[in-house]
Amino acid sequence: MSSSGNTSKGKIVLGVIGYDCHSVGNKILEVFFNEKGFQVINLGVMVSQDEFIDAAIETAADAILVSSLYGHGLIDCQGFRDRCVERGIEDIILYVGGNLVVGKTPFSEVEEKFKRMGFDRVFPPDVDLEEVARLLEQDIHARRNGKH
Amino acid sequence: MKGLERIRKAEFLQERETVLTSWPTGKEVDLREAITYQKKIPESKRFSLAMEEAKKTRTLLTQPRAGVALPEEHIRLLKYLETEGEADLLPTTIDAYTRQNRYTEAQEGIEKSLAAGKSLLNGFPAVNHGVKVCRQVTEAVARPVQVRHGTPDARLLAEITLAGGFTSFEGGGISYNIPYAKKVPLEQSLKYWKYVDALVGYYEEEGVRINREPFGPLTGTLVPPCISHVVGILEGLFALAQGVKSITLGYGQGGNLIQDVAAVRTLRQLAEEYFTSEGFTDYHLTIVFHQWMGGFPEDEAKAFAVIGWGTVAAVFSGAEKVIVKSPHEAFGIPTKEANAEGLRATRQLIHMLTDQSMPESAELARESELIREEVKAILDRVWNLGEGNWETGTIRAFQSGVLDVPFAPSLFNLGKILPARDNDGYIRILQPGNVPLGKKILDYHRERLEERAKVEGRPVNFQMVTDDIYAISKGHLVGRPRSNLGPKFRAHREVKERSV
Repeated sequence: MSSSGNTSKGKIVLGVIGYDCHSVGNKILEVFFNEKGFQVINLGVMVSQDEFIDAAIETAADAILVSSLYGHGLIDCQGFRDRCVERGIEDIILYVGGNLVVGKTPFSEVEEKFKRMGFDRVFPPDVDLEEVARLLEQDIHARRNGKH
Repeated sequence: MKGLERIRKAEFLQERETVLTSWPTGKEVDLREAITYQKKIPESKRFSLAMEEAKKTRTLLTQPRAGVALPEEHIRLLKYLETEGEADLLPTTIDAYTRQNRYTEAQEGIEKSLAAGKSLLNGFPAVNHGVKVCRQVTEAVARPVQVRHGTPDARLLAEITLAGGFTSFEGGGISYNIPYAKKVPLEQSLKYWKYVDALVGYYEEEGVRINREPFGPLTGTLVPPCISHVVGILEGLFALAQGVKSITLGYGQGGNLIQDVAAVRTLRQLAEEYFTSEGFTDYHLTIVFHQWMGGFPEDEAKAFAVIGWGTVAAVFSGAEKVIVKSPHEAFGIPTKEANAEGLRATRQLIHMLTDQSMPESAELARESELIREEVKAILDRVWNLGEGNWETGTIRAFQSGVLDVPFAPSLFNLGKILPARDNDGYIRILQPGNVPLGKKILDYHRERLEERAKVEGRPVNFQMVTDDIYAISKGHLVGRPRSNLGPKFRAHREVKERSV
């Protein structure tokens, strides 16, 4: 069982990375994950890697969910996992989703690139959110069990 | 006229010094030389003249969005859109780093793009490239070229691109802040854009006309026409106050044809009314219609249908220009081929609709009157809040939520307004927040939403809003609940059709 002391399915940090100001999906993700029973710390749009990590450390979050819609995802996400390691949260769950690169690209290529960068799961823009919530619950459960 | 005073020339020239030293390429700008250069640009490439001609001849001009990191590639892209896409007007869309004045990151993007052999930026970093490269771009094409972006502080971008031969500049102190930034105070962005408008006013005084285009669609997500109209009219007033003479106000497609036609017509009328009542007479107003700005279907065939529907509304609304989407919209930045396909599909429909028009109807008149009343109610309150000063009124209106843009990222936007579609796909107001529309108007919005709720067998709530946001990308206009909508919904339509 979880030893985090809260009854939620887990604590997640949410935000849109870099200089991306796409705010609509972010607001919807917040409402959705709240309704699903996660504790959501939403940083909104235009969030830097360090701001994500600061929030994750401060709140002892289980996962960071990074969104990127504007195409600069590759540049903005570079070194994210390394930065997490440096800051002492090497085992945090890292998800990324959205329109992650410039232009229409086969999703398998995008997924491979971001997984190599240390993201645990990579999602296309049209992903079924129910599926994401299910995977997230599962991953958080596994992480907590592995840890304790 | 309070809040519409012209910036003092000495003050403006002093501010220029700071702006031009904020990045090395600023030094390339020599205003006198730039004016001489602009005067040599052929008339066929002057944006304001193309817009005037379109109004005179009742033509709808097409314009894509397009921009990549590297100059040669960008020029190739624009030439392709000009020839293969048959675009009437060309853009240069600026990348997101430049929009936030992150020129160091933009430089990194340029270098990484060079290394990768393809653009890793979502637009053209005009500030980093500087005046000379901008001139190479504008000289390489035969059509007028506009700068399109989303920059709260576009002072340096305006200096460099206007000196670089662009003849139109998009944006405004509200429309390029509230939907495009998080932490920039409105007071600040209004000041930055006063500078941009004053710069355009300066060119104007020297005999060079630059077209200015406030960004109509805002967040592009179920924005009620009255909200974008109020923003457009205010930004129009601010621009005219600084000496801008050629102004194009915008509106983003909602999806219901009647509402879209009513919106463009009322935008034109209301803008004329407010501009003249503030004493501006010597200006040229045109309207730009944006094809659907929300989420698109991934299937390219379906995306073409959305593009087509936007074109129908653009033609029937009487706009002078349409901003065209591509079949790659769901994936982000399109290839040049996909971009040209969107343009050609749009062109075909424009030609087919040239000789047709939409008949007047009670519904069209009702929607037009509704938008007029709403805009007046909000602008009256802005005026009162500012105690007769439009600029102060605008700032206070956003502080108090009298002006509220749905789903905007800015911390300086209240974000309490919530829109949703009614049963016929009109965008209505579900929660007004503090937008002062009065009981009669709000009751009407509520009635129309309740009508939909009844048909769908669920209450009016946030789920409806979410369903509406993703509806078009999933193949519909109104976001119906997944279960149990068929027979009941169709029965309702039949009753309704019979009663008309």
